[in-house]
Amino acid sequence: MLSFINQLRQAEIPISLRHVLEFYQALNKGLAPDLDRLFLLARLVFIKRVEHYDAFERVFAAFFLGQKPPGTALDWEDALAGKPFEDWLREQVASGAMTPEEIRSFSPEELLKRFWETVLAQKGKHRGGNTWVGTHGRSPFGHSGKAGGGVRVHGQSLYGTAQKVIGQRNYVSYDERSALAQENLRQTLASLRNLQFAGPETELDIDATIERTAKNGGEIELVFTRELRDRLKVIVLLDNGGYSMMPFVKLVKTVFGKIREQFRELKYYYFHNCIYGTVFRDVYRSQPLPWDQLLMQGPETRLIIIGDANMASSELMAANGSLYFHTEDRRPGVEWLKELRAAFPASVWLNPLTKEWWPKESSTVMRIGEIFPMEELTLSGIKNAVAYLNLHGKRK
Amino acid sequence: MKFTGTERYYLTPELGEIVNISIAMEKPLLLMGEAGTGKTQLAFEISRALGFSMEEARCKSTFKGEELCYVYDTVLRLNDSRFGGGETGRDVNNIWDYLRFGPIGRAFLAEDRRVLLLDEIDKTDSDTQDNLLDVLEDGSFIIREINHKVEARCKPVIIITSNAKRELSDPFLRRCFCHFIPFPGQEEISLIVRLHFPEIPDVMLDACLTTFYQLREKGFEKPPATAELLDWIGALQSAGDNDPGDGKNVRHIGTLLKRSQDLLKFKGMDKPSRF
Repeated sequence: MLSFINQLRQAEIPISLRHVLEFYQALNKGLAPDLDRLFLLARLVFIKRVEHYDAFERVFAAFFLGQKPPGTALDWEDALAGKPFEDWLREQVASGAMTPEEIRSFSPEELLKRFWETVLAQKGKHRGGNTWVGTHGRSPFGHSGKAGGGVRVHGQSLYGTAQKVIGQRNYVSYDERSALAQENLRQTLASLRNLQFAGPETELDIDATIERTAKNGGEIELVFTRELRDRLKVIVLLDNGGYSMMPFVKLVKTVFGKIREQFRELKYYYFHNCIYGTVFRDVYRSQPLPWDQLLMQGPETRLIIIGDANMASSELMAANGSLYFHTEDRRPGVEWLKELRAAFPASVWLNPLTKEWWPKESSTVMRIGEIFPMEELTLSGIKNAVAYLNLHGKRK
Repeated sequence: MKFTGTERYYLTPELGEIVNISIAMEKPLLLMGEAGTGKTQLAFEISRALGFSMEEARCKSTFKGEELCYVYDTVLRLNDSRFGGGETGRDVNNIWDYLRFGPIGRAFLAEDRRVLLLDEIDKTDSDTQDNLLDVLEDGSFIIREINHKVEARCKPVIIITSNAKRELSDPFLRRCFCHFIPFPGQEEISLIVRLHFPEIPDVMLDACLTTFYQLREKGFEKPPATAELLDWIGALQSAGDNDPGDGKNVRHIGTLLKRSQDLLKFKGMDKPSRF
């Protein structure tokens, strides 16, 4: 049984000793009289997140039903998340087979199909059929044979992951939490949290009430106080478009995953390269958020912009500079940015480019740096940014 | 003592086993999954099937956790100290007259075993969640005002639900048995519909389900779930319709799609512009 648990660990399922003990306890109680129930029991005890279901099922099938060892199928997922697919996308763009816009217009399924067609078929990297294509829609021990029994494997999960992964490349969706552990980063971001009195005056201040009541000659006078709650509002604007940001995606994602855990009131909006009066609620930049609504959230909100600030200078300086002709604005990007800055006194721009590259990369970086305090997306840069936000956030 | 579902609630054998394992292991069972997969309902059915009474806590984002155990009514006590308890029988000198127990407190103090439902736990702060689990795991909590420890007489069957609006913390997940309820497939859902509408003709049911699953795949913001399906079939039946309609002529579409955006999308059926 221990080697089964070991295999689960190898499949990168986090398992603590406590769970192992629990598992044995349950076995002693006779809770797993047959394979079906063993499956359920093990899953209940060990698997805490739906993301791990698939890996678990694979390991279980391999261990107890003697099917192909796990790993190959995980490769498949990794492959899509990692290099080959990325390379393929780049290649498509570079060779002109598809433009970025075209890629964006494809549904994930279509992209997936094309990827298979071109990469797998042409280059012959089709690893034995069964592991790559075979996993599509088919699960290790399927729905057959055990009809009516307890075990049912969800054959779709892998496909779903693929869709997610593809969507990620396609739209550079930062929404995915990546599990990179950077404990010190978390601490830094934790310093962004500052406890301030906010919320409604609903809590009874007992001491003050008794004091006032006594002074009042026994007539009760209730004193209410504000509830102590962390109500820090943070808006994060993310540049998620274009291939200029591509290399920084992973870096930004780390920060992203960390920030997400720290606040309760945290909103994300997206933009591409520069901001022209609109930011978008969704990763695909199809649901615009009116400019007024963004500015309205004004002074008491901290604004963090993450982008490389790297664009053609005409995009920033010229009227009608927007890449998108149908955004009907006549003001250059720089004006919009100034307005944004004025509305959010506590705002910083985090740049994933290293500081020494700023002047070299593009003149726009420095120009934007004049509007927003700009820090690089490193630990020290974030520390500076946090210090700045805390200082300017306190002013009322 | 085994839970096997009730006549109103369709229970997959898998879920039934899971409930029984959790009860045997005395662990909280965390149910995750889309709205309309019967998470909350399950707790009620367990209490019905096993004959336990039910303690229910619907979580709000303002909860701190303590109020689910007990509330100390200071205002009432202040009032009584000034004006006297009158005929209420409350004694100002006795703090116990001013303590009220919440669902967790009641479940702990009860002589019998109860089903404790913490509904939509993901609405609360992660601090609150951790505090709650400390309480639930130890089976005890302390009334701070008098430093009195309340211990569970018998550990309740704890069912926790989450819509996964927010990620739950790892320590929290570690302490629960977690189960993700997938959306029911066509077979299961027709069983569910039959539980509620035993007389529905096969043809009608098939037509409804086909339309239903088609709509679910259209990627609406709030895809129709089981509850909407049941409402819809109910509406069709009471209107005496024998045909659910298809394409853009789905009847009573308002029972299936709730958001105006989704309705507009359904009527136009065009893709949102992407650029």
